[in-house]
Amino acid sequence: MFVYEKQLQYPVRIKNPNPALAKIIITQYGGPDGELGASLRYLSQRFSMPMPELKATLTDVGTEELNHLEMIGAIVYQLTRNLSEEEIKKAGFDAYFVDHTTGIYPASASGVPFNATAIASKGDPITDLHENLAAEQKARSTYDNILRFCDDPDVIDPIRFLRAREVVHYQRFGENLRLLTDRLDSKNYYAFNPSFDTQCFKKK
Amino acid sequence: MTEREMLLKKIGTCKFAVTDIDLFLDTHPGDKATLQKRAEYLEQLKPLVKEYEEKYGPLTKADDVNTWSWVKDPWPWDTEG
Repeated sequence: MFVYEKQLQYPVRIKNPNPALAKIIITQYGGPDGELGASLRYLSQRFSMPMPELKATLTDVGTEELNHLEMIGAIVYQLTRNLSEEEIKKAGFDAYFVDHTTGIYPASASGVPFNATAIASKGDPITDLHENLAAEQKARSTYDNILRFCDDPDVIDPIRFLRAREVVHYQRFGENLRLLTDRLDSKNYYAFNPSFDTQCFKKK
Repeated sequence: MTEREMLLKKIGTCKFAVTDIDLFLDTHPGDKATLQKRAEYLEQLKPLVKEYEEKYGPLTKADDVNTWSWVKDPWPWDTEG
């Protein structure tokens, strides 16, 4: 169950349109390491998690990613306000524009529409948590790459916030992995799936 | 930044502190001091939300009682630069 709050997690307030920047930032909306994939990955993986701490982390991080999806949507929306046809063409935004005008559509920077392969869900918590640690780093690298092309402080500020959250989520997933392995028979970490083969848990 | 946006920013700051603490508590559920800190932020949040909603309308639908002001602009992505 979700309740909408009429507020972004971190303010987005961009004065100057910049369709060239919008074209690359859209990748964190619907690209391979974007926020749509992140939110659906965690909110899907949580069902098969074998411990309450892991269910809680995936629920809360997955929900936070929905906030980030909304922030990226707001950034792209504000970067593409009040554009002339000439500005669109000059910035190379015309390819996106003919398909979606200035609507927000989940696609990567290279224009590939969102693909559900971005949502890894293996049903093995050790596998899934390693996936998530990598996913947070991939998103962090993507934000670092985006920052290389940003010279507008109005854009840099919220992108830096989002980048910092990837680092925090990485930390929490690392703790999840430790909490899980602490409960397992240490001889059997990778010989069993803790969601399926419940005998791999230590006897209490 | 307008007065509305400044108040919203204060609310957002408290809410964010709670969100970040929540993630920490998910992996450290027995941490009493952090739980206490969370309660403090929630206390700080209450009067700010009350003031905001009285002046500018509801932040969640649950708080919309008299008229359906939920539909009113601005929506969160409508901030002008």
